[in-house]
Amino acid sequence: MKSKIIIIAAIVMLIAIMGYMAWDLFLSAPPEAKNPWEYKVGDLKRVDSSILNYIEMKPFKPEMEEVHGVDVDSSGTIYVVGKNRVGIFGRDGNLKNSFPISGIGTCITMRNQLIYVGILDHIELFNMSGDRIKRWKRTAPGSVITSIAVNGNDVFLADAGNKMVYRYTAAGKLLNRIGQKDTVQNIPGFVIPSPYFDLAIGKDRTLWVVNPGRHSFEHYTMEGHLLNSWGSASNSTAGFCGCCNPTNFALLNDGSFVTSEKGIERIKIYSNEGVYRELVATPEMFAEGVKGLDLAVDPQGRILVLDPAKNQVRVFVRK
Amino acid sequence: MFRKSREFWLLLLLMLLAGSSFAIQRFPRPEFETGYQQPETMLPGPRAEIMAVVDLAVLILALSAVSWMVLKKRSRKGVFWVSMFSLVYFGFYREGCICAVGSVQNVTLALFDPTYPIPLTVLAFFIIPLIFTLFFGRTFCAGVCPFGAMQDLVAFRPKTINSKVDAALGMMPYLYLGLAVLFAATGTDFIICRYDPFVGIFRINAGFSMLLFAAILLLTGIFIARPYCRYLCPYGVLLNWISRFSYRHMTITPAECINCRLCENSCPYGAIKIPNSVKYAETRRQRVRKLMFITLLFPFLMVGGGWAGSRLQETFAGVNRTVKLAKELLVSDQNGQDVESFEIKAFRSSGKPLTEVYQEARIILHRFLIGGWILGAFLGLTTGLMVAGKLLENHQSDYVPDKGACLSCARCTDYCPVMGNTMPTELNHKA
Ligand code: SF4
Ligand code: SF4
Repeated sequence: MKSKIIIIAAIVMLIAIMGYMAWDLFLSAPPEAKNPWEYKVGDLKRVDSSILNYIEMKPFKPEMEEVHGVDVDSSGTIYVVGKNRVGIFGRDGNLKNSFPISGIGTCITMRNQLIYVGILDHIELFNMSGDRIKRWKRTAPGSVITSIAVNGNDVFLADAGNKMVYRYTAAGKLLNRIGQKDTVQNIPGFVIPSPYFDLAIGKDRTLWVVNPGRHSFEHYTMEGHLLNSWGSASNSTAGFCGCCNPTNFALLNDGSFVTSEKGIERIKIYSNEGVYRELVATPEMFAEGVKGLDLAVDPQGRILVLDPAKNQVRVFVRK
Repeated sequence: MFRKSREFWLLLLLMLLAGSSFAIQRFPRPEFETGYQQPETMLPGPRAEIMAVVDLAVLILALSAVSWMVLKKRSRKGVFWVSMFSLVYFGFYREGCICAVGSVQNVTLALFDPTYPIPLTVLAFFIIPLIFTLFFGRTFCAGVCPFGAMQDLVAFRPKTINSKVDAALGMMPYLYLGLAVLFAATGTDFIICRYDPFVGIFRINAGFSMLLFAAILLLTGIFIARPYCRYLCPYGVLLNWISRFSYRHMTITPAECINCRLCENSCPYGAIKIPNSVKYAETRRQRVRKLMFITLLFPFLMVGGGWAGSRLQETFAGVNRTVKLAKELLVSDQNGQDVESFEIKAFRSSGKPLTEVYQEARIILHRFLIGGWILGAFLGLTTGLMVAGKLLENHQSDYVPDKGACLSCARCTDYCPVMGNTMPTELNHKA
C-alpha cells in the first residue's frame, strides 16, 4: 500500500514536470512589456510620511534665477547664492540685502563678517554690504568649487573638478591638499562622478568631507590625516544608493549629520557616529530628479533645504 | 604654454555659456573620471583543438570498456565504475557539454539549415554511441551517458510500475524527440538543452526552476529508476530503435535459461521480458482479422495524428521568436498599446521594415504546418507500432532483456545462477 502511494506520488511528480515543460514552452505569458533592465527606484521612494518627526514650515523664495548654495550664521541670518547674485535673508525669509556677483555662485559661507562665495573655479570674499574685498586666484585648472568651510584662520575648499580639498589661510595662501589617494595613510581618494562634493567643520574643529562615490563620510585633521570614516552603500533608507550620494550635508548643533541625496530625493539624519536616525523629508516632498539640495542648520536647529527645482529655501522643524 | 591656457579659457567660456543657456545643468560637470583603471577585457581562450580529440578518445574508450564489461565480463561493478568515471568526465569536467542527447538538435539543424556548420565532434558524439548500440546494445546508456549515471546514483528503492502507465509514459520520449526535431529544424529553439535537468548540477549553476526540475527528477528517481531515460530522453528513442537490431546484445544468462525466475524482478527499469507461457493457437481467420486491423490502424493513426499536428501549427509556431514578434507587432499596431514590449521597442529601433517580419513569420508558419503534419504522423506511427507489437507478440519461453528498453546495465546478470563463461551465439538470436 505504502509502495503504491510512493509510486503514485512519483508518477504525479513526473507528470507535473512534463506539464511544466509544456506550459513553459507553449503557454507561459509573453515577456513583460517593460524593460527588464530598467533602473527602477520607484519602490524605494515610497515611504510612510507619518513616521516623520519633522514638519515643513513656510518656505521662502530667494528671488534669483538659479539657486546653488545656502548657509546660516550664528545669528540665524540666511545666505543664499545662485546665478549672478547673493541674497541675505532674516530668519523668516525677509530680504535684508542682495548684491550681484559675476558668474554662477556654487557655494557660500559666512564667517568673521566675511561672505565667502564659490564662483565656479575660484572664490570671492565680500563684506556684509556686498562689496568685494578679494578675489582668490584659481587653485588648479578644471576646478569646480562646491563647498567652503572656515575654521578660525583656515579656509577649506572642496574642489569637485580635481577631487580634492584645499586648505588655505584666511589670507588666501594654500597650506595643504587633503584627500589625495595615499595607500600608506590609508586614504582611499575622493570618487566624485558628479559635481556634488561637500564638506563641513565638526564640533571638535576637525574636518568632515563627503566621499560620494564611496557613499561615505571621511573625517580628517586639519593637516589631512584620515581619522575615520563611516557610511555604507545600500538600497535601504539607512544607506546611500546610486552612483554617488549623499550630495550635500550639514551638521546639527549636537554634531549629528543631516544629509541630502539625489536619485532618491530625501533628507536624513545620522548620529555623530554615523548611525542612521531618522528621515526628515521623503522623496514625495521633492520634484523628481532634483539634485544638489544644499543644507544648512540654524542656531535653533531648523533644517534649511535649498530646493533648486522649486527655487525655494524650505524649512523643516522638529515637531 | 600660452596656447594651452588660451584654449582652456575658451573652453571654460563655452562651458559657462552652455551652462547658462541650459538651466537644467547646474554648472559644468567635472570630468567623469574616478582614477579607476579599467582592466583589460579578458576573454577565455578557445579550448585547445586537441582536447576535442581527447573527448572523442575518452568516449570511444569508455564505450569499449563498458561493452567489454557487459558482454565479456558480465560485471555490474565494472559498469558502475566506468559510469562513475563518465559522470566525472562528461558530467562535471565537461559540464554536460558536449552531450549525445542534445546533439540530436545540432544534427537536425545541420540537415535543415545548410548555413549551420555542425562541429565534427558534435557529429561524432551523435553517431558513435549509435554505432556501438548497433553492435552491442545500449552500452552508452549503461556506463557512458552522464545523465544515466547521475540517475543511477539515486536509484535506491526502485519500484515496479504498472505496465499500462509505463507504456503511456513511455510515449513521452517520442513526443519530446518529435518536438525537439521540429523546433531545431525550424531554427526555433534547442528545447532539449532548454529543459536539460542535469547541466545545472554539472555546472553548479542553474536557475531556480531548473534546480527544482532536477531535484524533483532525482527525488522521483529514488523510486522510479532513471525516470529521465525512460520517460523523457529523446536520444534514448534512437538508441531503443537501433538496439533492437543490435548484433550482440547482452543476455541475462550466460548459457541456457532454466526459468528459475530469480532474475524476474531484478531489472529496475522493467526491461526484462517475462516468458508468455501458453499461447493459444489462432485460427487463420483470427490472424487475418488482426492483420487487417493493423493495416487499417496505421493510416488511420498517421493521418489522424498528422491532421491533429497540423491544427497545432500556431501553438508550435508561437514558440518561434520571429512569429512571436510578428504577432506582438500585429496586436500592438491594431490595438495601439501604450506600453510596448522590450522586443517591439528593439525591433522598431532596428529600422527593419514591418513587412519583412510578417513575411518571415509567414514562411516559418508554413514550415510548422508541414512539421505539424510530420510530427503527428510520426506519433501515429509509433503508437501503431506499439499496438502492433502487443497484438503480434510471439511466443517466448525464456527470460530475456527487451532489446529496445534494456539499458545493458548488467544488474540482472548477478541474479542468474547458471554458470558459463561464454555466451552461445544462438542465445543472441533468441534475445
Ligand atoms: S536514455 Fe538518454 S539520458 Fe538515459 S542514459 Fe541513455 S542517452 Fe543517457
Ligand atoms: S541489463 Fe537490461 S534487463 Fe538487465 S537489469 Fe539492466 S536494463 Fe534490466
